[in-house]
Amino acid sequence: MKKGIFTVALIATLSTLFAFTLPVNWEIAPKYNLSFSTNGVSGIFKTFTGSIVFDEQNGAASRFDVSIDVNSINTGNGMQNKHAKSADWFDAAKYPQIRFVSKKIVKTNATYQVTGDLSLHGITREVTFPFTFLKNGGGATFGGLFTINRNDFKIGTPGGEVGEVIKLAVSVPVVKK
Amino acid sequence: MFKRTLTLGLTAGLLAGAASLVYQKVYAGSLGYDFADIATLPGIAAASVLGGLLAAVLYFLLTRWLGGRGEVLFNFVLMILTFASIVAPFAIKLPLEAEAPELFPGLIVPMHFFPALAWFTLKPLFLKPIQPIPTSA
Repeated sequence: MKKGIFTVALIATLSTLFAFTLPVNWEIAPKYNLSFSTNGVSGIFKTFTGSIVFDEQNGAASRFDVSIDVNSINTGNGMQNKHAKSADWFDAAKYPQIRFVSKKIVKTNATYQVTGDLSLHGITREVTFPFTFLKNGGGATFGGLFTINRNDFKIGTPGGEVGEVIKLAVSVPVVKK
Repeated sequence: MFKRTLTLGLTAGLLAGAASLVYQKVYAGSLGYDFADIATLPGIAAASVLGGLLAAVLYFLLTRWLGGRGEVLFNFVLMILTFASIVAPFAIKLPLEAEAPELFPGLIVPMHFFPALAWFTLKPLFLKPIQPIPTSA
């Protein structure tokens, strides 16, 4: 009898524990938006892939490993697209991916903050940016608005007509795997 | 004279518009993109007719002021403006939802030449040749 009670209690405890600690695997849903803008140019990246493991209550077990296909850049102008992919800017032939791998995710009031390695144009730098996570039925949407300096990644040459500080807006709907 | 010139401009514009729409169909059939949300049927027709009417006004004014030399000048101006206008399709920024914006100039640039082609094709049917410029013997 005692053994039975102990087993039930153990299962209940473990279930509760895992319910809180097991992070959720999220799948990137269509209609995501990764847009950028700066003086002189703006556009989107159309191909975004990766794995997202995230639990609102457990940042330590959460992890982002996402990539953007540089060749999917679209500024709305064919010549600008070609120029952006050229060796003068992103050098898409040599560096076809932009990759972000998180190292730490913490909750800050109503939002979250992620720190990780951003690899872009052959240079990897640690970056930190805030993001939101809004649940919506069985899914959710990650959102973020932050800036990077293109000179940090040796994209283009300093100065010129194109701004150095690039504003990035990210909106990624996800569904549970 | 002005009425016939305007009729020529209008007819050339309509012919250019029709040619542009046919070209758009051929382009879409071969490359898979027609940019129909951007290069709309009313837009193409209106731009073509406007081009034809502006050419008519310019032709009338130049030939009235300069006679035979006005026609020569008109031909040059029409071709220069036509060539200059092809910068626009290369410079335009399409909506970000538009796929393959690099294919847009290939669709629009030939359309910019259709009003001039139509004008030169139809002109002998509408207007008498102006007295040639005298040449020194």
